[in-house]
Amino acid sequence: MTENKVKELLRSGGYIADEAIATAVFLALRMEKPILIEGPPGVGKTGLAKTLSQVMDFPLVRLQCYEGIDEGKALYDWEYGKQLLYTQMLRTQLDNQLCGASDLREAVDRLASEESLFFSKNFLVQRPVLRSFLSEKRSVLLIDEIDRSDDEFEALLLECLSDFQVSIPELGVLEANNKPLAILTSNGTRMISDALRRRCLYLYIDYPEMEREVMIVRARFPDLCDELAQQMVGFLRKVRELNLRKPPSVSETLDWAEVLSILHVTNLTPEVVANTVGVISKHQADLKQVTELAAAELG
Amino acid sequence: METVITRFVAELRKEGLRVSPGESLDAVCALAYGGLEGRGQVSSLLRLTLVKNVHDIPIFEKVFNRFFSAAPAGMGIDPDDLLKEAIISMEGEMLGTNPEMINDNMSLAGVDAGLSPNDLKDLQSLKETDLDQLDGSEIEIKLKDYQGAMEAPRPSMRMPQNPVTMAFKDSAGQKRDVTFSQQELDAMQDAVTRMLLRLKKDIRRVKNRENRGKIHVIRTIQKNYRNGMVPFLLELRRKRKQKPRLVVLCDVSFSVSHASKFMLLLLHTLHNRMMDVRSFIFNAELAEITEMLSNSPINAMMKEIDGGKIVNLDDNSDYGKVLLKFKEKYLENLRGRPAVIFLGDARNNYGKTNDWVLEQVRDKAGYMLWLTPEERSLWKRGDCVIETYGAWCDRVEVVKSVEELNAIVEDLFRSIYLEEEHRSMRSVKKVEQEEAYDYREYYTRGGGGAAPALDPEGRTHW
Repeated sequence: MTENKVKELLRSGGYIADEAIATAVFLALRMEKPILIEGPPGVGKTGLAKTLSQVMDFPLVRLQCYEGIDEGKALYDWEYGKQLLYTQMLRTQLDNQLCGASDLREAVDRLASEESLFFSKNFLVQRPVLRSFLSEKRSVLLIDEIDRSDDEFEALLLECLSDFQVSIPELGVLEANNKPLAILTSNGTRMISDALRRRCLYLYIDYPEMEREVMIVRARFPDLCDELAQQMVGFLRKVRELNLRKPPSVSETLDWAEVLSILHVTNLTPEVVANTVGVISKHQADLKQVTELAAAELG
Repeated sequence: METVITRFVAELRKEGLRVSPGESLDAVCALAYGGLEGRGQVSSLLRLTLVKNVHDIPIFEKVFNRFFSAAPAGMGIDPDDLLKEAIISMEGEMLGTNPEMINDNMSLAGVDAGLSPNDLKDLQSLKETDLDQLDGSEIEIKLKDYQGAMEAPRPSMRMPQNPVTMAFKDSAGQKRDVTFSQQELDAMQDAVTRMLLRLKKDIRRVKNRENRGKIHVIRTIQKNYRNGMVPFLLELRRKRKQKPRLVVLCDVSFSVSHASKFMLLLLHTLHNRMMDVRSFIFNAELAEITEMLSNSPINAMMKEIDGGKIVNLDDNSDYGKVLLKFKEKYLENLRGRPAVIFLGDARNNYGKTNDWVLEQVRDKAGYMLWLTPEERSLWKRGDCVIETYGAWCDRVEVVKSVEELNAIVEDLFRSIYLEEEHRSMRSVKKVEQEEAYDYREYYTRGGGGAAPALDPEGRTHW
């Protein structure tokens, strides 16, 4: 497999990748290293993982990060309830086991020898990271918006991502059956530590060039006429230069394309922009600037 | 090939990038897997493995162009050398890889892990074509590249985390410029981020203690539903989150403008991040800029302030009048015992001081801080009334640089939070005292009789 193959594969899933993205995916597959993707919101960071899982037929395991996420939510957890239930139900068996014991010490020893029963994989709840490691098939592990989590969680991921293993004190080290294709995304609200960066391939996805963005629109909405696609992408590129509070991203471009195709618009006019401006700008302060630009550019 | 990469990495490090040995190994691996087809390809392979930060990408491009160019001998690389080493390392790579692993991943890995001789010839293309062979327009483009490439990197570019580059003194000496450069903004963003990170740890400690409250019975039952209502996992009542409030009055008259400029930048950066901040600027009149700080970009705001659109900058600063105005308009609606910070040199131009207002502010404020950019030795000279005002404040500090300003504000936040902690500790202590209080004494006090004791059967007898 080469980068071009990766590119074609992604295209078959409706994702138009550029050189850097294709190379990163290719390398991640070959070197079995995670990719850390940064970039402005809405340029297709999460979309890349989704498309990859779809076109390569890897199951997608998604871990959405948030403040306060910990190993119980990300790696594994013990099922206390089930453990308790089993102890209750096995009480008679335990009694039988222990009734022959001559003294307390022996009873404790016997009980200890059975301890591993209660800390076995039966009672382990697999959370996303462990689930993707232990899955039958190679999977795509998407760790979304890692910048929302705390430093402690990032440190927790270091072992998982560099060696693809999880250490559980009661069980020992569980190694991955199939090393997943790990994709971490970040919106850059917080600096990710260098230790984590070192373990990843680093990919920065910026707003696409004109040509690629038109291709993205065309791939998603084939019935939209070419001139309109060109026109709207050109307009949105100008909007991005406006210094808005929330510049429109690729996802906004696609939303807008959908709206325009529903409304059967064939040519972009200031009125059309004024009517649909809510799709491309999401802040009240930005609305005015966008409509003014539309009047100046398209009028 | 390793040697070439190592040399390239050394170049990158010289430019201030932090590249670890592990990353350079990755780069070698990546080249072995990805092949050496063309300049763009190699560039993107190296970038993916060696550069781990957006800000570093332009530096990488520059170093790459310089390193893999038709540079004078000794600086660049010898193609034969590169070929030979590439072959050796490819073989090494193939030997090094676990054959089973290759089989396992064959479907994904493809079969082109080894390079054909043709590919190796392509290594030549890593070198830029000789300038003499190009036509004019291309040479022009290349030359342009070189002009860019030869420029020495600015220290601030290399170390954006170093706020020393933006000390006040520099900007005060130079031509007065009200806007900030991107580097200054980045540096401030960075400094504030790190300040908040440090604070976060302390805050979390306090919060944890705050959480250690009573059990939230309903939530606990809900949480333990699957455990048959046996409360394995406790859910504690959380106390109301208290966001620290801050009120800042910033003098923007010419005499302190170099300091207030950075104060405003700090406020802008702080805004909405964790605090409830109300900001005012004043000269002879007072104006609230809270709305502006959160809504408009800093440079636009600075220009507006500098243009005198918000407060007239031609007047002499009049602290007495400003304080009166503050009392009339805003003092009533200060809530939640905010920390009040004044920034100014307290040079009142011999006007009325009206320092009795500060007494009232004191009543409302949890903490009062006065920041002045002037040396202590100058305080008694001329029209400076800082000692009168300072008497009402918890602290008076001299700030001369951004680091000092940041350190003081961090200190302030910490003390606000710690005060929170003291407050919560006080209530904990009160509860502990109450728990320690033996209510049985209530019945026996003054009665002279001993407290009822338990008899061995476990029955109380009176």
